[in-house]
Amino acid sequence: MTARVRSPAVGHLDADCFYVSAERVRDGFLRDKPVGVLGNQGACVIAKSYEMKAAGVKTGEPIWEALVKCPEGIYVKRDFRWYEVLSRRMLDVARELSPRVEYYSIDEFFFQAVAGGGQTLQELALAIRDRIWDRIGVPVTVGIARTRTLAKLISDAAKPFGALAVIDREAEEKLLAGRPVTEITGIAGRRAARLAPWGITTCLDLARADRRQVRSLLTATGEALWWELNGDAVQAIHTRRPAHKVLSRGGSFGESTARPVVLYAWLVRNLERLIEELRFHGVTTGKLTVAIQYKTGHAGVGQRALPVPSDRFDLLLEAARPCLRMAWLPGVQASHMHLIAEDLSARGQYALDLFDPPQRRARAEAVALLKEQVNDRHGRFALRSAATLHLPAIYRDVANAYDICDIRGKICF
Amino acid sequence: MCVGIALAWSELPTELIARNGLDRRAHERGGEREVRFFYRDRQPRLPIWRDGRLQIVRWGNGRGQSQFLPATGWTWQTTIEEGYWRNLEAVFVDIPASLGFDHGVWFRIRQGIRGILVPDEHGAAIVYMICEPASHYYQIMTRSTRMPVLIEERI
Repeated sequence: MTARVRSPAVGHLDADCFYVSAERVRDGFLRDKPVGVLGNQGACVIAKSYEMKAAGVKTGEPIWEALVKCPEGIYVKRDFRWYEVLSRRMLDVARELSPRVEYYSIDEFFFQAVAGGGQTLQELALAIRDRIWDRIGVPVTVGIARTRTLAKLISDAAKPFGALAVIDREAEEKLLAGRPVTEITGIAGRRAARLAPWGITTCLDLARADRRQVRSLLTATGEALWWELNGDAVQAIHTRRPAHKVLSRGGSFGESTARPVVLYAWLVRNLERLIEELRFHGVTTGKLTVAIQYKTGHAGVGQRALPVPSDRFDLLLEAARPCLRMAWLPGVQASHMHLIAEDLSARGQYALDLFDPPQRRARAEAVALLKEQVNDRHGRFALRSAATLHLPAIYRDVANAYDICDIRGKICF
Repeated sequence: MCVGIALAWSELPTELIARNGLDRRAHERGGEREVRFFYRDRQPRLPIWRDGRLQIVRWGNGRGQSQFLPATGWTWQTTIEEGYWRNLEAVFVDIPASLGFDHGVWFRIRQGIRGILVPDEHGAAIVYMICEPASHYYQIMTRSTRMPVLIEERI
């Protein structure tokens, strides 16, 4: 949340079923067919085409459920390297047509909408959509409005392959009246349930509600949305990603496991990935959390504060090991693990640990540097901890070497 | 086990379609026609590229027409490497495919699948699909422990 910003208009660009569209850019055979992109090592549909959506398949659904709903669907493997290439090309086009662009996520940007040379905002929306389609081949929808929240609602309403600028209040209200309040980013089930007893079920209900009441129900975040729905821009466009407050790495195992040695291998893999990220951002962590999800629906969490903030493998592993023990439910099949680094501080801006001998520190630094250099030269994970040898299939598949969270500079996941 | 493939209709010459009655195997997906070849068909067939020509040949020996060829439609890559097929006048062929089908999952194939073509004792050409242990991804996607050997592709 940032200070109130006066902006003439804000645009929201959202690629239509982006991963599928990206696959279709390089593979024309997939056009007009029901297509699902699989993640979680082949277990889940992480993106689907409109044809597959029409059959009832939902994002995040296991492939075995999707097959029942859409037996004619074609399944392809995710490739985040390729999706990033197209995403950055789209970003370049957006930057040609706007002075300020926010790289919100791999397939969504916000931008300052400035119509130039006798052009209307509607023509600008069309120009961006068409230029991306002509140059890159990815269908996108563009919405332009007075605020970010309104622009996103408009682009959602105009999907697929739409371009719509709505600036006058009458047209805004007509649009807001037809959209449930849950379509606003930041208002999901629990918040919507808090609003419902007050008769607030549509976006227009929220816009017309008493501002103080909205604040009491949804805190300052909800009040910001209220301002935005009423045309007052309070959310800025970030042309650079603000510094991370938290960094995390992890995800699904694909295949669930109860084997301690495999769980430990995942811990080490996630820790190595987390350290890469800490070092890239030049930060250290003062608190580490290991979170495990189990097939039974249970979750286990272990947390440790470090004596001094660190990005060192040996010290972080020392902290992560007891966290894993705390989070571990013996004999229960685990499906996901996340490693979360909090209390981030700039590297070098902390007192040294009295009980960390300088020689050990120097050796750990030298090992970290060598690891970085070898992996830069020979490919990611070429040099890694031997504990990860219990995940041979994960490392054999190059697709696992690059994930959505490895695409840097985005505001959101 | 990959028990079926689909090939875009446009990939097949009209004359070949007519000669082999492939229109019976035609289906439509997303407004485009394709020809499907299943091992479970009464007459299992596969398209192959041989000597620069696209042909339709019998897929395996599942119905025991041959007394000496294996009664299956697949062979392991390792079996070939061990020389099992050496004395059977076997030749490598490419099986063109747009899609593969395994445990109800249609998965994309960019070029095709490696196959081995052998004559039976009656002189008929029989193709076997070459397979290898499934990759982790393939195994999770299809729940199969073996996958076809794809041409210049690994999934």
